[in-house]
Amino acid sequence: MKIVMKVLAIILISIFSFGTQAQTMDEIIKKHIDAIGGKDNWAKLKSMKMVCTMKANGADIKITITHIDKKAMRQDIAVMGMNGYSIITEKEGWSYMPFQGQTKPEPMTADDVKNSQEGLFIQDDFITYKDQGKKLEYIGKDDVDGTECFKIKMTDKNGQETSYFIDPSNYYTIKQTTKYKADGKEQEGSSMYSNYKKLPEGIVYPMTISGGFGTTDVATLEINPKIDESVFKPTVPPATQSVTPTK
Amino acid sequence: MQKIVVSAFVICSFNINSQTAVSSGMFGMMEARCLGPGTMSGRITSIEGVNKDEGKTIFIGTAGGGVWKSTNAGASYTSKFDKYCQSIGALAINQKEPDVVYVATGESNMRNSVSIGNGMYKTTDSGDNWKKIGLDSVEHISKIVIHPDKPEIIYVAAPGALWSNSKHRGLYKSSNGGETWDKIFYIDDQTGCADLLMDPSNPDILFISMWQFRRQPFSFNSGGKTSGLYKSVDAGKTWKEIKNGLPAKPFGRIAMTLAPSDPKQMLAIVESTNTGLYISSDAGETWKNQSATLNVCARPFYFSTIVIDPKDPKRVYRPAFNFAYSSDGGYSFTEASYDGGWVHSDMHALWINPVHTNIMYVGTDGGIYVSIDRGITWQFNHGLPVGQFYHVAYDLKDPYNVYGGLQDNGSWTAPSAAPGGIGNGSWNRVGGGDGFWTVPDVDGKTVYAEYQGGNMDRTTLATMKSEYIQPQKTAKEEKLRWNWNTPIVTGAKNPKNLYVGSQYLYKSNDQGRTWKRISADLSTNDKKKQNQEESGGLSADNTSAENHCTIFTLAESPFDENIIWAGTDDGNLQVTTNGGETWTNVSTNVAKCGVANQAWVSSIEPSHFDKNTVYATFENHMYGDFKTYLGKSTDLGKTWKRINSTEFCSFAHKIKEDLENKNLLFLGTEMGLFATVDGGDNWFRMKNKIPEYALVRDIQIHPKTPDLIIATHGRGIFILDDIRPMRSLTKEVWEQDVYLFQTPDITLGNGRFGWGGTDVSGGWGEGNPSSIPSINYYLKSRISTGKITVDIYDDKDKLLQSIPGSVRKGINMVDWNLRGTPPVVAEGSTKFDGAGFTAPMILPGTYTIKLKINEKEYKSTVKCLHDTANKDLSVEDRKQVYEKAMQLQTLYRNVNNTIDSISFYQKSLKADTIAFAKNKNAQIFYNDLQKVKSDFMAVTKTSIFADEERLREKISKLYGSFCGMEAKPNSTQLEAIGVLEGDFKTQKESFEKTIVKNLPKNPELKNPKVFK
Repeated sequence: MKIVMKVLAIILISIFSFGTQAQTMDEIIKKHIDAIGGKDNWAKLKSMKMVCTMKANGADIKITITHIDKKAMRQDIAVMGMNGYSIITEKEGWSYMPFQGQTKPEPMTADDVKNSQEGLFIQDDFITYKDQGKKLEYIGKDDVDGTECFKIKMTDKNGQETSYFIDPSNYYTIKQTTKYKADGKEQEGSSMYSNYKKLPEGIVYPMTISGGFGTTDVATLEINPKIDESVFKPTVPPATQSVTPTK
Repeated sequence: MQKIVVSAFVICSFNINSQTAVSSGMFGMMEARCLGPGTMSGRITSIEGVNKDEGKTIFIGTAGGGVWKSTNAGASYTSKFDKYCQSIGALAINQKEPDVVYVATGESNMRNSVSIGNGMYKTTDSGDNWKKIGLDSVEHISKIVIHPDKPEIIYVAAPGALWSNSKHRGLYKSSNGGETWDKIFYIDDQTGCADLLMDPSNPDILFISMWQFRRQPFSFNSGGKTSGLYKSVDAGKTWKEIKNGLPAKPFGRIAMTLAPSDPKQMLAIVESTNTGLYISSDAGETWKNQSATLNVCARPFYFSTIVIDPKDPKRVYRPAFNFAYSSDGGYSFTEASYDGGWVHSDMHALWINPVHTNIMYVGTDGGIYVSIDRGITWQFNHGLPVGQFYHVAYDLKDPYNVYGGLQDNGSWTAPSAAPGGIGNGSWNRVGGGDGFWTVPDVDGKTVYAEYQGGNMDRTTLATMKSEYIQPQKTAKEEKLRWNWNTPIVTGAKNPKNLYVGSQYLYKSNDQGRTWKRISADLSTNDKKKQNQEESGGLSADNTSAENHCTIFTLAESPFDENIIWAGTDDGNLQVTTNGGETWTNVSTNVAKCGVANQAWVSSIEPSHFDKNTVYATFENHMYGDFKTYLGKSTDLGKTWKRINSTEFCSFAHKIKEDLENKNLLFLGTEMGLFATVDGGDNWFRMKNKIPEYALVRDIQIHPKTPDLIIATHGRGIFILDDIRPMRSLTKEVWEQDVYLFQTPDITLGNGRFGWGGTDVSGGWGEGNPSSIPSINYYLKSRISTGKITVDIYDDKDKLLQSIPGSVRKGINMVDWNLRGTPPVVAEGSTKFDGAGFTAPMILPGTYTIKLKINEKEYKSTVKCLHDTANKDLSVEDRKQVYEKAMQLQTLYRNVNNTIDSISFYQKSLKADTIAFAKNKNAQIFYNDLQKVKSDFMAVTKTSIFADEERLREKISKLYGSFCGMEAKPNSTQLEAIGVLEGDFKTQKESFEKTIVKNLPKNPELKNPKVFK
């Protein structure tokens, strides 16, 4: 997702096209990719570290995302004095959420790993969908918060479906819904994207994400930072550690 | 270049216009609450399950509630058809690709209240997205059958229009998955296709039953010489009529089934002058009459389902008035047990899990039941809120209650809010039968409820004891004619006035103990429309549903109790200005604005702003005319102006004028809720989490709580809480880029209710409205770049809390919890600490709201008031609670700062892990710190079942209690603060001693700044 920033000429052409004739799905996707900074700029993105703040009752919850393209991703969450995380790699997935009663890192189910691995691609989904063997379907127009959006459904190899709602005025994705099927259960989650910002690297990124969980603002976003890959190993949380003094 | 510039200008102009048009999206953040209930559900018309999914995925079609899907065998359901017609006739799943599902709109259980459809729909992703695929004009569809091996071949049985002749009926076939359709069997414009069977062993063999039928507002006819049973052996190319062994014609409706495991075995219930069950053992070539119970043959037009078990050709199921089953191929039947609870009568759909045939689902007039013992006993699914209300009323209690009557499910009441929210257990029954008007008396203790045909009771709510109060015929009247849905109304001006209408209007001002007839016959009294005992056709069917030439709607003027309006089901609109001494029929005046002559007067809304102004809706669907009729008169009915809109859809049930803004109107039709904010010039379809094509039968606006209350015929009751944003959105506002609305005064408090506990009744549930008014602002356009915050400042311009704002086009609503910013919680604990989520409630005063959008700022203020109704908390108490809470917050912050300092030292000690491993002094220092830390907060807790409470948790607990306190603190709570402050002092000294002890031995640590 994410992206945009087009020059004025592109905006005019986009609006003109929108106003005069129906666009093909490929045209919508092309304009979306242009709007989020273009394929070339995204191609330079190999890793990312993002610190976010989620608001809840006026309190801040800190979320840190560490991500190496196609390889591994870790999300740390610090809430009310506790620290938890989830890790997903090409091979496995772990979660440690002590606020949910977990006392040590626990492996994700095979279905959860499979579904979560879809998120390992750091590029915008419309840039990589072919590489990932995903299929697209243009559904039509759909209202999102008063904006008539283009709705495009993406289906991955596992049959997991994600729908993207693209604002015709700027070609940003403003909503995404995903239907999760795992371990015999079926659930749906959705996220809203806003506050798009052009980063120095040329990509355009939504700095505010909201959903049923609350509103999250990206505080810092490092592109291509050096990442110590040991963070992708599940470890016992430090708070429970004590030290046996050297004799 | 010049051309591009011109184009850009045109586009900009267009965008400006489109942005200023008021649309439903502008109010999309106002989301209605569905009160359900699921405890009495609604009519189910179709059930289909995915065979290869162990029967876990099930689709449910309903009479007026759209399509629902369960992926857990009925434990819960999700609505899948909210954007489309809610009346469902049939469903079918392509079992080869079970994400492909077809839905036929337009129920075919042809009772008087059945709704209409607008075509076929198809999904290829199991209900997430739908496409309309034709047959738009068919109106009613009974069955869809998909070829098992070539699923692109689909047959659709269409009884077709109920209220008019139509060529759009018969048997349809598509050979390309619904892209195009051919009508492959047609008799005439009065005879449709009622049932359809395919032989699974040879899908070219088809059976259909043709049915001649018609309803009029005052009668029903099932049966005629063109009804019959037909068979094709060439996939519908040619047909032959089957007669051998069947009774003499004419036939009415025929329901059929065959045994999937032995398709030559067939059963048919044939409506005729001697309706009976017929058995064939030779694929329908010959038939033999079989004796059958009343239940098997009852009411053929309404009960048209009979099913043979997928594996056992002898096991037959007949869901009808009750549930009957046979184990000998239909030779004998018995009925299901009520062990475990009553099963709702009137059944229309059955799905048997083809893998586990003991498991089956039956659809009734009151929802879904599941059996796991071959239909012998049944359990109710409580999570399907598809109740079919006719009307809704409210009382003036706080919180108020809603009251309403439902199709075949009696009359009920529920609170608009309750501890823990509204669940199935919140609803209480106040009347039986088919429920309609259910009206509370102004005394707050009494309710009037009725069942079909004007039978009405006065019921005491505390005891549920009832008295029958229907006015009776005296020597001065003709036989009284009561509409099936007889109006019972209390006065808008004088709520002690109780009105009921047969063809005469009756008034009581002593709760129905004495009645005064205040009119002559107000209907047309057309005798040709009063032969209901002859109604039904081949099977007599006179249940008061066809009663006609009756009063259908009533309204007393809110200005003058002597001005009363009465509308009839045969086109009369009458008004009196002298309490009924004389009446004027204004129907001729109405007709001049284009309303059909005989249309039912479905609602009358005397204006709240002008004595002479009145709105009315009229509906003519029982004559095949589905147009939306809405009229307005400003001279007490002498002249009328028709209000119309291209947005309107289907026939109108209710017009409602807002109580404060005369330009705000709501219209309910058979296919949606519509609103205008400019007095009717421009209308838009309301969405607001309400199904877009909901059958909106009634609309009320609560006079004390500014809520819109909506009765739907298929999705229960909705409440759109607090419509003040709609009242406020004037042209002056919507033409601005940004507008921050004035926030109403806020009474400080934690809300009306406590937790309320877990809803033990299960099933459908809904939350309460927010107890705190939201901070509202309007955006002309969505904000895609940049951030919005709503910041709250106190009178010293200190920021209390910064709240993320939404960025949507139209009305945005932000909730402030009336508190400041919670304290930061130091990390590293093994126990969740809730203090970091709360702060003391603010004190009464005026606060500043700053709406910040990128670089721009918009300001307003809000007054927060002490809750004088709370006798447990004086203003002085409130101040004490606040001060003590802030004292505890300061203590809590100090504790967390100290923990951070400890952690800082520990982190510094371990910064070089190799050096640390070799440095005994560092390790001792670290462990000493850990010991001190473990006194400050929980660091060793390993299970939620092994609690660990340290200083921070103790402070947190007390702090939390002060933050939530709405009463004077007790003496021990106050004393405990000092104890904890003392504990902190001691423990902090212990930390400082640890530093003093260890720091000299760890000279590499030199950071005095960590002390605070």
